[in-house]
Amino acid sequence: MFPTGHRQKVREVVIITTAFVLSLFLLRQSVRSPEYLSPLDRGILTLVSPVQSAFATLARSIGHVAGRYVDLVHVRAENEKLRNDNDHLRAELLEAKRGAAESVRFQHLLGLRNAVAAETLVARVIAIDVSPYFRVARIQLDRGESLVQRGMPVITPEGVVGRINRTSGETSDIMLSVDPRSAIDVVLPRTGGRGILKGKPGENGYRCAIEYLMQGEQAKEGDLVVTSGLGGFPRDLPVGKISKLVKNSAGLTQDIEITPDVDFARLSEVLVVVAPAPPADPDAGSKKPLAPAHGLAVYR
Amino acid sequence: MRSVATLAVGLLLLLLQSTVMEFAPMHLVTPTLGLLVVLYVGMAPLKWAPGSAVVVGFSMGYLFDLVSGAPRGVHAFVFVTVALIARVLAWRLAVRGIVLKAATSFVASIIAAVLIVVVRAQISPESGYGGLTQAPLEALLTAVAGPPVLWLLARLDGRLDPALLRVGLARRRARALGQGMPQR
Repeated sequence: MFPTGHRQKVREVVIITTAFVLSLFLLRQSVRSPEYLSPLDRGILTLVSPVQSAFATLARSIGHVAGRYVDLVHVRAENEKLRNDNDHLRAELLEAKRGAAESVRFQHLLGLRNAVAAETLVARVIAIDVSPYFRVARIQLDRGESLVQRGMPVITPEGVVGRINRTSGETSDIMLSVDPRSAIDVVLPRTGGRGILKGKPGENGYRCAIEYLMQGEQAKEGDLVVTSGLGGFPRDLPVGKISKLVKNSAGLTQDIEITPDVDFARLSEVLVVVAPAPPADPDAGSKKPLAPAHGLAVYR
Repeated sequence: MRSVATLAVGLLLLLLQSTVMEFAPMHLVTPTLGLLVVLYVGMAPLKWAPGSAVVVGFSMGYLFDLVSGAPRGVHAFVFVTVALIARVLAWRLAVRGIVLKAATSFVASIIAAVLIVVVRAQISPESGYGGLTQAPLEALLTAVAGPPVLWLLARLDGRLDPALLRVGLARRRARALGQGMPQR
């Protein structure tokens, strides 16, 4: 079907070689500067992001409708009149519950935002884990997209989500705390021990582990793990609980598996910490003598 | 035209995979729909030249990297390799019927998973070679999605086949000429 001439063969070989070289070049560039996006990448993402956002909205709507349908299936056995009444009431109730749940979620988010001294931005999750080999979520910001940069922490009221990996316009990719490339400084409040939280590769679920925790630290299953305050994350933010503990017989360290508090599969809104909290006032709490007032008189 | 249409369908499948499927109950692993597009162009040696198949493979991988947030180049490299492997095998295997198509999708998904993990381990050694435990489930879902997606792509390909389009165009032109001729 295709011309089998020498020129055609050479052309095919050139195309195939170029594709391989180009993909290897992209890989090399990714290793050197993972956050870099070319104008072409940005253009594609600018075109794709609204569609992706629309798909996410559609998916959520379908999810709600499907949930409502599942509830209706149970009611179908009842008589027609009661069923109609039930349908109506249940639909209203579901809608109200959904609204209430959303309101609570936003209240929690607002509460966290007020509680965290750092400057934050609210963002909506539009895609999660397209590839199971890279734990990445994509978020869309309503405003302040120019403030978001690589490495900025991302949190929710439930705890740590991850860090911004790369940004393009109003969308950003979060490297989740369960990605093996992620590293977050954490502390065990019960013992005071510190370590580095890293994602666990090869896990079906969302799991992470603490590395470099000394065996002297008497950690036990069920212990809470929180952020240490280093690396941009607000201090004492929940990370998860110890679910498995294995002491290395040879070494000094121990393997600690953590189950995150955040349900990554159900992420919908997150906070991006765009500026860390100001340093604590060292004189806070101590009584300072008031300086005598000078200057303008007080008008009465 | 045909490549652009195939890529558009591929992008649509990627977006479907990135959003709709993630909100489904089995959200941890999804079928690799983009790979099926690469598999299709690789396994159709009479319709797609090797160069075109590789270009579609590279473009799909590149788009997958952008949409998924994976390091750029990982899926581009893997999809190009899968397209070439499929092309080599296509001359020796005739993939006909639902079962064979599902089995081919399964094997392609496993090969892609192994390649992804190997490339990932090279570019970020801290990730190691883990993650392959979910490859069989991912491959199973890809195998389920394989036959309908491949059928869809074959239909699209049939409609946009340059040879058929040329014939269609000639017929239309002949009809237009016939209508323009004076009646006896």
